[in-house]
Amino acid sequence: MAYQLYRNTTLGNSLQESLDELIQSQQITPQLALQVLLQFDKAINSALAQRVRNRVNFRGALNTYRFCDNVWTFVLNDVEFREVTELIKVEKVKIVACDGKSKCFPNFFESKTTLRTLES
Amino acid sequence: APPSSNTNNPKLYRSVIEDVINDVRDIFLDDGVDEQVLMELKTLWENKLMQSRAVDGFHSEEQQLLLQVQQQHQPQQQQHHHHHHHQQTQPQQTVPQQAQTQQVLIPASQQATAPQVIVPDSKLIQHMNASNMSAAATAATLALPAGVTPVQQILTNSGQLLQVVRAANGAQYIFQPQQSVVLQQQVIPQMQPGGVQAPVIQQVLAPLPGGISPQAGVIIQPQQILFTGNKTQVIPTTVAAPTPAQAQITATGQQQPQAQPAQTQAPLVLQVDGTGDTSSEEDEDEEEDYDDDEEEDKEKDGAEDGQVEEEPLNSEDDVSDEEGQELFDTENVVVCQYDKIHRSKNKWKFHLKDGIMNLNGRDYIFSKAIGDAEW
Repeated sequence: MAYQLYRNTTLGNSLQESLDELIQSQQITPQLALQVLLQFDKAINSALAQRVRNRVNFRGALNTYRFCDNVWTFVLNDVEFREVTELIKVEKVKIVACDGKSKCFPNFFESKTTLRTLES
Repeated sequence: APPSSNTNNPKLYRSVIEDVINDVRDIFLDDGVDEQVLMELKTLWENKLMQSRAVDGFHSEEQQLLLQVQQQHQPQQQQHHHHHHHQQTQPQQTVPQQAQTQQVLIPASQQATAPQVIVPDSKLIQHMNASNMSAAATAATLALPAGVTPVQQILTNSGQLLQVVRAANGAQYIFQPQQSVVLQQQVIPQMQPGGVQAPVIQQVLAPLPGGISPQAGVIIQPQQILFTGNKTQVIPTTVAAPTPAQAQITATGQQQPQAQPAQTQAPLVLQVDGTGDTSSEEDEDEEEDYDDDEEEDKEKDGAEDGQVEEEPLNSEDDVSDEEGQELFDTENVVVCQYDKIHRSKNKWKFHLKDGIMNLNGRDYIFSKAIGDAEW
């Protein structure tokens, strides 16, 4: 099962909101919505792994770090992200990172700890 | 695969959307869910993405329009004030001249100054008043002359297209063509105005459960447009001036989320508080709530009470304007996987991959990211 990590992104959230609306209007069932999300997980994981090929560098001050359930969560301040084409500065950024070597944690993101991490 | 910088975000997102939609088609069918619902899902998804403005060029034209909306506030109400006043006594109406609806549409191609407006949800709901006018009565009050010109198109976020037309006498109606139309495709052509500066408001209307039946084409007097969850309603309004008089724009760029919950509830509440005044233009940005009968008297008194702002709407507009500028209060988040996290004393090094970032409101993607930080 692919990481559900990417549901909390613009792409993932917009999908979840859309599904919620369809559930509310009773056009689909929650189970169907879940199936769609699972499919989304696969698609986005695959797309990122295969269709993206760029590098970014960043530097900043580490404010907090947390490692729990094999998930790292960092909060950095005054960060600069650099890509070849552009420079992006933010005062604060949260980084949530799952283990890149292990792709199969079926119920990984169902644990409360992890959910809190991701959704905070 | 070609290397992708973040200028390729839209393509990546598009391909993910396509893949997901195609992959779940069978699941939908197995569940007995109609293909149309699948298409609605796709439309909703794309619309939200576009509205988030997190992705450049996802629908580039719409984004520009949205930006215009964010940046401009239109108090065009004032100019039309007098027009409206005069119109109030026109015999065409058996119902009171209400404050104009929030929308005004003017076909870009036909009139120089009309912005395209899309109807905000919540306001529509509130106009709902089953007792006001029967369709027949309304139809009777509306002459239907031959010279009907398309005024604008209104799009629900479920992709349904409503066509507003203006008759020669100035009355405006709304029809609903039978097929659903994707939001963007219809909006764009209208947005090539001859010098129109007016903002375009991208409206997110909650999906209409079951869609509006083809029969539900609404005949609406000029200014009140009424949508409901599953039926349409005719609401008599003032006669539109045969000019851009009705340019009312509601910058609702950011306020859809609030409208939607109301939209999906079946019961409609007629709002009778707040704007008791009669000046239509001034109420453009406000909810058109009135009971028509009440309004009639007030209107005829000629009261131009001065603008009664419905604060919530306007203030929301202000907020959204600010958000439209650079100083986002977004939470900057990076969602990714780690290859290696290293620490030496208080010096940390991050080796990350396959990440999606949302920084200052925009999305970026990387296959690899390397960072340093001191704790």
